[in-house]
Amino acid sequence: MNKARITVVAGIAALAIPVANATAAAKKKILTVTKSINGPQAVADRWGYVQVTLVVKKTTTIVGKHKTVKRRITSVNVPVYPDHADRSVFIAQQSLPYLTQEVLQAQFDPNIQMVSGATATSFAFVQSLQSALVAAKKA
Amino acid sequence: MGMPIVVEVRDGDVPDAVFDWFGQVDETFSTFKEGSEISWLRRGELGLDDACPDVRDVLHRCRELRAETEGWFDVDAVGLDPSGYVKGWSVDRAAAILEGAGAHEYAINAGGDIRTRGRWRIGIQHPREPQAVAKVVEADDVCIATSGGYERGQHVLDPFTRAGSAGILSVTVTGPELGTADAYATAAFAMGQRGVIDWTARLRGYEALTILADGRVLATPGFPAASRAARS
Repeated sequence: MNKARITVVAGIAALAIPVANATAAAKKKILTVTKSINGPQAVADRWGYVQVTLVVKKTTTIVGKHKTVKRRITSVNVPVYPDHADRSVFIAQQSLPYLTQEVLQAQFDPNIQMVSGATATSFAFVQSLQSALVAAKKA
Repeated sequence: MGMPIVVEVRDGDVPDAVFDWFGQVDETFSTFKEGSEISWLRRGELGLDDACPDVRDVLHRCRELRAETEGWFDVDAVGLDPSGYVKGWSVDRAAAILEGAGAHEYAINAGGDIRTRGRWRIGIQHPREPQAVAKVVEADDVCIATSGGYERGQHVLDPFTRAGSAGILSVTVTGPELGTADAYATAAFAMGQRGVIDWTARLRGYEALTILADGRVLATPGFPAASRAARS
């Protein structure tokens, strides 16, 4: 499965490079390549395997000899392996019973001594930024 | 670290050593102070081998936590910033100082992350109603850390989906160490809805409660309940 994927990616690169060389003058050239990146198959406890696929759009901007590359995740899919409809429904439903489920309710309890909550916005922002960067690095 | 730290001791005074400790942590780990060891490390003016034992221990544990969270807790993602672990870790150490001074009934709250000894009644902040709590935990000797994007009504937007961290309002983690609980909560919040369900269900030694944007509250079976459920 991995082999097939690498071949496809190499094919795209081989097509892209001659185009880039031909326009290496001072002119601005923008190339975009969209490709799917499969994560490793992960064992989802006893339910089988899960594999995440990211669709990443790579934009290469060339001005003269200067080249910048930007990658952007455009979608995230979680196909289930083996790709069988009945089994994927089964897995999607059965992954929840490990956790108890309730409906969110607002409680006003005067006997509470301390409250656990998220820290300041700037800290949450750093958390979010970190997670985004981790995700991009993994893409 | 720029956050309120509340120390409450029921069976004695709060020793000065606790406040000295938090001052020392700030001097060593602050990313805002140019003279902190972390700042020296960030600028490359200090090698890790020459850092003090506390800094080496913290960074070593952060590397382990990166592996335990499948890469979602990553102190190197925005320069070197171990603050997400240091807060809880420093509270764990402060608790040891209190224990050494003979305290057996205390709670330390550092910016919403709490470590207690004895029985305390703790609310988990409701992510949408500032005056309410979503859940009440009443337990002995607990560490509880919450990560979310709702403080003061501002939601942190995920740059990919433009939603609050991919369907999650907050994640609360309890367990034997506050530093680890805090790092786990941070990582789980970052994973997004799909990731958080699978990952928290596989946690060992720690329990998690996740509040989803669709109003569902998902908890691991061992998550500490309020007294009504626990005592009946």
